[in-house]
Amino acid sequence: MLRICNLTMRYPNGKVALAGFDLAVAAGELVVVLGGNGSGKTTLLRCITRMLDPSEGEVWLGDTNLAALSGERLRQARLPLAMVWQHASLVRRRSVLANVASGALGRHGGWWTALGGLPAEELRAAHGHLAEVGLTALAGQRAGTLSGGQAQRVAIARALAQRPQALLADEPVASLDPEAAGDIMRLLRRLAADENLAVLCVLHQVELAYEFADRVVGVRDGRIVFDLPCDALPRDAVRRLYLADAA
Amino acid sequence: MTAAAEEPRFAERGWGGALGLALRLVALLALILVVLQSALVVHARPQDLITGAYGMADIIRRAIPPDIGEIGKIWWPTLETVDIAIFGTVGGVLMALPLAVLAAENVTPSRFFYFAARGAIGIARSVPDLVWALLFVTAVGLGPFPGALALAVHSVGMLGRLFAETIEHMEMAPIDALSLTGARRLQVFTHGVIPSVLPSLTGITLYRLDENIRSSLVLGFVGAGGIGFELLSAMNLFQYRLVSLYLIVTFVLVLAAERLSALVRARLA
Repeated sequence: MLRICNLTMRYPNGKVALAGFDLAVAAGELVVVLGGNGSGKTTLLRCITRMLDPSEGEVWLGDTNLAALSGERLRQARLPLAMVWQHASLVRRRSVLANVASGALGRHGGWWTALGGLPAEELRAAHGHLAEVGLTALAGQRAGTLSGGQAQRVAIARALAQRPQALLADEPVASLDPEAAGDIMRLLRRLAADENLAVLCVLHQVELAYEFADRVVGVRDGRIVFDLPCDALPRDAVRRLYLADAA
Repeated sequence: MTAAAEEPRFAERGWGGALGLALRLVALLALILVVLQSALVVHARPQDLITGAYGMADIIRRAIPPDIGEIGKIWWPTLETVDIAIFGTVGGVLMALPLAVLAAENVTPSRFFYFAARGAIGIARSVPDLVWALLFVTAVGLGPFPGALALAVHSVGMLGRLFAETIEHMEMAPIDALSLTGARRLQVFTHGVIPSVLPSLTGITLYRLDENIRSSLVLGFVGAGGIGFELLSAMNLFQYRLVSLYLIVTFVLVLAAERLSALVRARLA
C-alpha cells in the first residue's frame, strides 16, 4: 500500500537526513519506526507527505508516486494519506465534530465549504468516526477543552474522515500518560486491522512497539539499521540502536 | 552574603563602570535638551496660562448651566457620530482583512503580495484621518459620508497591521494539519485561520470602534457631520451653553463606548 524506494533527503548545507531509505507497509499492517533524536524519523514522514521535497527516491501510495507530483495533482493524490501529529493539532476554538468533519474538506470544492460551512453528510459521517474512537459524547465540545488523550483520539477521527488508505503517526503518544498512550496505540492497532489501513508510526516507547507493532524499523543517521517482525526483534538490537545514538 | 554585598563598589568596577555612568549622564543631558528645544519651538509661555485664565473663566461662566432645553436636537448628530464610527470600522475591517492575509508572512501567497499589502497598510496608517476627511469632503462633499470613508481608510492602517500580526503569531500546527488533509487554501483559511484568530480580531475591532467614536467627533470640525460639526457651529455662534451640552454628551458617549468595548473584549479573552 505504502512503498518508499531509495528515499534520500539532502539539505542544502550538505547534511544527509535520509540515505536511500527503502520501506513498505502493507494494508492492515502497523509498522513502528524507532530511533534516537535526529535519526531521520520525522524527516521520513515529512518526505512521505511532501511537506519536505526529497532529493531523490519514490513514495508510492497505491499506484501513485507522490514524489513525482506537485500542485493540484499532489493534493488530489495525497487525499488517501492521513497524518496524526505529536500534538493533536486541532483547531481549538471549533467543536470536536467540526474538527473531525474538516478532515473531509479535500473532497468538497464548493462555495459552502470555502465560506466555512461543512457538508451535512460529512457531519453525519463525523459522528460515526467519533464513535469509532469512543468520543461520541464530546461531539459538541470545544476542541480546546479536551485532555491530551481525547484530543489525539479526535485527531485520529479527523484522519479517518479523510477515508485514508495509509496513516502516518509522528510520535502520537509522546505527550500522553502511559494509560492514554496504550489506548491510542490499541486504537491504531484496531484501525489497521478493521479499516485495512497501512499504519506507519514513529515512536520512542520501545515497549509499545513490542506490544502493538507488526514490524519494527530501527533508524540511525537516516539509514535503516533493522527491519524485523516484532517476535524476531532481539532486545539487544534495540538497546544498541539507542546506545549508538547516545555515544 | 546579600546581593548588595556582592555588587562591586564603583572603584572596583574600573573604567568600564565609569564609562557606563558617563554614558548615562550624556543620555540624560540629551533628553533634557530635547525637551527644552521642544518648549522653544512651540513657544511655550507659562505666563500666558495665567493671563489667559480670565478668558477661560469667562467662557466657563457663560457655558454654565448647559442648555438642557436643546437636548432634543442633539440625538440626530449623536447618532450620526456613532454611525460614522460604525460604518468606518466595518468598512475598515472589510478592507483590512484581505490585506492582512496578504501581509502576514506565514500565510501570504507570495512576497510580491506581502510587500504590496504592507505598503497599502503603511500608506493608510501614515496619512492622518483628518487629512483623509479633508480629501473625502473635497471628493464627495460635506456630511457624514466623507467622515465615515475617512475613518474606514485610516482604520485599514491600524487594523491591517494588527490583524496581520495576529495571524503571524497564531499556532501554525493546526493550519499545517488541515492543509495536509487536502483542504484547499481558502478552506484552510475559513476553517483554520479564521476560527483560530477570530477572538483576537474581534477584540482589535472593538478597540478600533472605540477609537473611531472619538475620531468621528473631531472629523466634524472639517465638515464631516456629527457632534463635532454641531460643536464647531455652536462655538462660532458663541452659544457656550450649547457647547457645554455637546461636551457632556461627548464625554458620556466616549466613556460608554470605552466601557462597552472593554467589557466585550474582557468576555472574549
